[in-house]
Amino acid sequence: MRRTGGIFGGRRNLIFSGLMLVLLFIFLLDLFVVDRIFEPFTYFYLFFAPLIIFYGVYPLYANRRLTRYYWDRTKRHRLAVIGLGFIIFLVAVAILGPFLTQDPTQVDFKNKNLPPVGFSSEQSIFDRNTGQLITTETQGTWRHPFGTDDKGRDLLAMLVSGTRISLQIGLMATLIAIFIGLIIGVVSAYLGGWVDNALMRFTDIMMTFPFFLLLVLIVFLYGSSLWFIILVIGLTGWTGTARLVRSETLSLRTRDFIMASKSLGASDRRIVFRHLIPNVMSLVIVIATLSIPGVILAEAALSFIGLGDPTVTSWGLVLHAGQRSLDTAWWIAVEPGIMLFLTVLAFNFLGDGIRDAFDPRSQI
Amino acid sequence: MVRKLLEVRNLKKYYPVTAGLLARHVADVKAVDGVSFFIAEGETLGLVGESGCGKSSLGRTLLRLEEPTSGQVFYRGADITSWNKKQLKALRREAQMIFQDPQSSLDPRMTIGDSIGEALLIHGVGTEKERPERVAELLKRVGLEPAHATRYPHELSGGQKQRTGIARALAVNPKLIVADEPVSALDVSVQAQILNLVTDLQREFSIAYLFIAHDLAVIGQVSSRIAVMYLGQIVELASRDDLFHRPLHPYTQALLSAVLVPDPHQKRKRIPLPGEVPSPIDPPPGCRFHTRCPKVMKVCSREMPELKQIEENHLVACHLYD
Repeated sequence: MRRTGGIFGGRRNLIFSGLMLVLLFIFLLDLFVVDRIFEPFTYFYLFFAPLIIFYGVYPLYANRRLTRYYWDRTKRHRLAVIGLGFIIFLVAVAILGPFLTQDPTQVDFKNKNLPPVGFSSEQSIFDRNTGQLITTETQGTWRHPFGTDDKGRDLLAMLVSGTRISLQIGLMATLIAIFIGLIIGVVSAYLGGWVDNALMRFTDIMMTFPFFLLLVLIVFLYGSSLWFIILVIGLTGWTGTARLVRSETLSLRTRDFIMASKSLGASDRRIVFRHLIPNVMSLVIVIATLSIPGVILAEAALSFIGLGDPTVTSWGLVLHAGQRSLDTAWWIAVEPGIMLFLTVLAFNFLGDGIRDAFDPRSQI
Repeated sequence: MVRKLLEVRNLKKYYPVTAGLLARHVADVKAVDGVSFFIAEGETLGLVGESGCGKSSLGRTLLRLEEPTSGQVFYRGADITSWNKKQLKALRREAQMIFQDPQSSLDPRMTIGDSIGEALLIHGVGTEKERPERVAELLKRVGLEPAHATRYPHELSGGQKQRTGIARALAVNPKLIVADEPVSALDVSVQAQILNLVTDLQREFSIAYLFIAHDLAVIGQVSSRIAVMYLGQIVELASRDDLFHRPLHPYTQALLSAVLVPDPHQKRKRIPLPGEVPSPIDPPPGCRFHTRCPKVMKVCSREMPELKQIEENHLVACHLYD
């Protein structure tokens, strides 16, 4: 009963559709009349934020007791809580960090290759006047607590900027992939027959598609951009989700509560949106949590081999910059490496915790 | 003259078996193979048989939760096999179902109140304010507290969940309920409570039941008439007392000989049935039971016996009584 009332007064779908229509109108205006009302990123958030708030956060609030139950179960997984804490920290850094640190693109050749605070390094400079090799020892300073790279850019600022970029890529590509995978999986399983066959064969083809080559091709044709990377990963990465969601939906469809709904006279639409999708959402949340680190690593790998967007400072780009000076300035490559490592670990721990919490068979 | 609420005529439900890449149709699982019976208003027809004999398929098919392969189902004289979606929705207010597994028959993400209220919502019964009151009323009627409405299925016991399932079926004031093994997943003590509830509700609202079970003791407690099913067909249909005291079909006799009696001194003569139930994909010719029947005759493997009235209200499909 509360479901139909609540803060939206039972008109959740209506309000959401209204918001989406306004957004579509602005987008069309942007496309054909005025130029660049919003950045592409802004559109992305304007689409997904209401979707998540209306159909992700609001049900959590409306079903507080169920949320609490799952949270209590997740909490028993200590590593998951630590992971969640680290992710919250990363999000805070991504949102607030860039306002507090220096400009990550500021070049300062006088202070290049500075080690982090508490470390020192020896640097050899060939003196042209004397023809001798002068070895100086430099100490890390609090002005650049994480040190600087070979162009004197502040590594802390670069890593903070990288946090924002990496999280954005991870979140966006995952949202796109999950969104497509969820729809294809549920539709395929619920309709069955030739629709199922067609969609699953299409998924198989997409799975064999070499996304890496596609990306190389796009970078070659249009130059690298963060958006291409997000779109390519998102538009090719939904296949696993689609398969998992399909198999989960198939098993849910044979459960008695779906039959019970049918025997009450529920429409297909009601069964899909009220019963099937809410029940596969736990699986989807787990897939999403576990796929974000994969995307972040993929972007880092792309940047590392030089296919990343050169205009944004991502962790992969710093890693790429650091690989050349590993013998003289190890910290340039090691620091983003540690960040990647911790982030991937945090998401994996959280994903494991959520999976165990949602799995009724695990007695944790 | 009894008033027939539901009548089934020669109902068949085959599940296709497909093979290969092109989903070639190779065979059929003959889950329900030519079944005819009726249910009178306010009575309980028990349907008994071993697992896999097609009891559940029959229950679902006659409510058109699954599409019948052939045959007719008349509800109050109208053939519902030809009904469209809109007409079927009207039928859903009249005929409901209770499920075997209380765990899987409730949506784990819905509160008990929402699950019961869904029926009211779908059929537009009452206003948004009246519905919670109706749900509370239903909860009380099945022996739960109105406060249970905000609980989730995982917070209830098996018996409480089954009560919720019954409340959900009752929500639309049905005249017919197909109860598909409603107690077989419950403890014996809880079974008795649920069976009492089911019979109380029948008296109060004059509901007719098709009560499906594999346990003859359970069936005997609630049914006025009993149908015995074997491999997709009804082999015997009689009033409860007739069936228990004078079973005619050898299969029924064997089933009854297996019922436990709470008396250690009573000598029981058990009739063991050799072999296994044959596959419903390729049922034996003639009488389906002839491969295991202790009284098999020559004619049994050639001709399929028809369900015939032998005595008053006692139908049996067996060549012994030709």
